[in-house]
This record gives sequence, C-alpha cells and structure tokens, in this order.
Amino acid sequence: MQPFALNYARPAAELEFATPYTYDSGLQLNVLLDGGIAARDHALLRELGTTTSTAGSKTHFDD
Amino acid sequence: MTVLILTSEEDVTADMVVVHLHALGAPVVRLDPADLTSGVALSGEYVHGAFRGHLSSAGRLVSLDGLRSVWMRRPGAAATRAAAPSPWLTEESEQALYGMLRGAQVRWMNHPDAARRARHKPWQLRLAQRSGLPVPATLITTFPQAAREFAERYPDLVVKPVSGVHPQDPPQAVPTSRVAPDADFAAVAYGPTLLQRRIAKRADVRLTAVGSALLAARKPTAPDADPDQVDVRFAPSSGPWQPAEVPPRIADAVRAYLTEAELAYGAFDFAEDADGTWWFLECNQSGQFGFVEVDTGQPIARAIAEWLSRPTSDELPQPVNRTGTRLP
Repeated sequence: MQPFALNYARPAAELEFATPYTYDSGLQLNVLLDGGIAARDHALLRELGTTTSTAGSKTHFDD
Repeated sequence: MTVLILTSEEDVTADMVVVHLHALGAPVVRLDPADLTSGVALSGEYVHGAFRGHLSSAGRLVSLDGLRSVWMRRPGAAATRAAAPSPWLTEESEQALYGMLRGAQVRWMNHPDAARRARHKPWQLRLAQRSGLPVPATLITTFPQAAREFAERYPDLVVKPVSGVHPQDPPQAVPTSRVAPDADFAAVAYGPTLLQRRIAKRADVRLTAVGSALLAARKPTAPDADPDQVDVRFAPSSGPWQPAEVPPRIADAVRAYLTEAELAYGAFDFAEDADGTWWFLECNQSGQFGFVEVDTGQPIARAIAEWLSRPTSDELPQPVNRTGTRLP
C-alpha cells in the first residue's frame, strides 16, 4: 500500500556536526568562536552546506 | 521603521541579510515564533477604534506601527518551545501573532496567504504555463492506467513529490527520480503521483527573484553525469554555480508569474536543454539563496535587505492587491 513516489525515498541525511558558531541575540547574528560573523565566512558556509537547498527541508516545504 | 524577520536562530542564511540591514542602518527585530511566551512576547489593544500592538524579543520592543516590512524567512511553528507547548497553544499563538501582523501596514516577503497558495505545485505548473514559461509534460494522478498511458506517450519520465514535503516517520528524502521503463504503476493508486517528462539537461538553472531584480545562476551538467541522477540537490556537485544572463522572454514570464502569484520573492528552478530552452520545474517561494551567493558572488542578500528596508514614502503610491500585499 506504499505510494509510488515513496519507492524512490531514501533515508534523510542528518547534519551530524555541531555548527562552529552560536547565535548572539545582541547582534541578531551567528558568531564564530573568534568573534567573527559566520555569514561573512563564505568558505565555511560552503563547507557546512547550511545555506544549500536541502538545508531546512525537515521543517519547511520550500527548498 | 523596523524590519521584522521571522526565522530560527540557526538560520545563517538570514544572517547574510541581517549583515546588510545593519550596514544600511535599518533597525531589525529578529525572532522565532517558536519562542512565543518563552523569550518572545506580544500585546495588542483594540480600544476606541484604534489599535496599538507591540512585539518584544531579547530586550527589543517594537510597535507594530513602527514596522516597515516582515520577512517570513524560516519561522518555527508558534510557541513550540514554550514551557508547556501544545497544539492548542500553537494555534492560539499563531492566531494572535499573524492576526495582528496581518492588520499592520507592512510589506511582506511573502504574505502568508500568497505563500500558502504558491506552495501548490499543480498551481505553479498552471501559472507557469499561463505566464509563458515552457513546462515539461506532467501528469498528477491516482489512476494507474493514466500513468501507464502517460508513460507510453513519454517513455522517459521522472517522479517527484507533489508537495515537496519529505516524510518524517522515519525521516526520508524523496529526490526527483528517473522512472525505470518497466516500472509497475499499480502503487499510483495509493497516493497522488507526479510524473513528468525528463528533460535531458545540459545545465540546472536557479533564478532568484527579489522584487523586480532577477539573478540567475547556472550549473552545467558534467559530460559524464549519470542520467539517472536528475535532482541537482542530491547529485554529486559538477562544479560551482555560475552567474547567468536571463533571456528577456524568461524575464518577462517570471515577472508575470510573480505578479499573478503576489510574491515579492521566488526561487525558480529550470532545466536547460540542449537547445538552450529553460524548462520550468518549480518556484519555491522561500527557496534558499545562500549557496548561490556563496558560489557566484551575486548580491542576493543585499537585494533582499534593500527591498525590506525600502523607505515607506516609496511604497505609498503603489497599488495594493487583494491579499493586502503591495506589489513588488
């Protein structure tokens, strides 16, 4: 009784690492351990994949 | 006048916009509705024909009269991190928050009503057709026989979820997948199934629309790419996204789509075929953009910040559509 589309499902890949930044409610931004702004570190964002089109899929419709 | 951003704390893509809002000197209040009653508070008073409303978060207090715009980025379900969460409390909190915000004179990216409608893929496909965008032959059906007949007409098909939602029990991903020529379509009867003619693509295209600004990026398909890997989100990367020119006919059609959809933001996915035709796949009204900006350097976050912080005096003469959103 499984719908056809689910024949093509695969286990979801979970983020298995701790992001190296924390939210600073004063700045309203995520901040790196050295005090830098995470969003300015594009190399880090590319490495983590936290801005990609599969990030956030668990809780939101839109990728 | 303040820009209100509704999103989670860990949303580093939203950070990319906040950085620009800070640089523009635009006041920002960022909060997650999930934190309502536990770090986020609201109040609204309807007295003597007038309304006064306030939101507070992390020591910031903003009047709803003082809001310029609302960015519905990645808001959590309201009050889900409250001390005693419940479906009832979530409903109460959603009604209170969004009910008050709907009454505020703000510009939305995107208005909740427009966003909800725009998530429907069948509606997207029809609007794309009407807007003049090429749409691959598509069937959405629960009739196995209809699927079989469609597969006879279009032997090379892909299947994808109708809703874009991924199953959570257990957590699964359902990528757009190629359907084998000898597929058994009997299970189509157990759930609406979206079948679409596969576009033999030479590139994926992501076009990000921010107001009237259109920023396109292109990722060429590797010559040795596996033809069964049709979903760029799950395929091995063939290289970085690269900036691309938007063909004038596509630009006109995308703007028509956005106007009809009453969207201020949209992330359009296209498959580019060997002839250079951009085939419409979908438009995510809250699609991610950070990965495109990181690869291409295109100023998407800045464009969003500028749209959100645009002075009110520029907004007043503009027409208002039926959902109360000023047109982009």
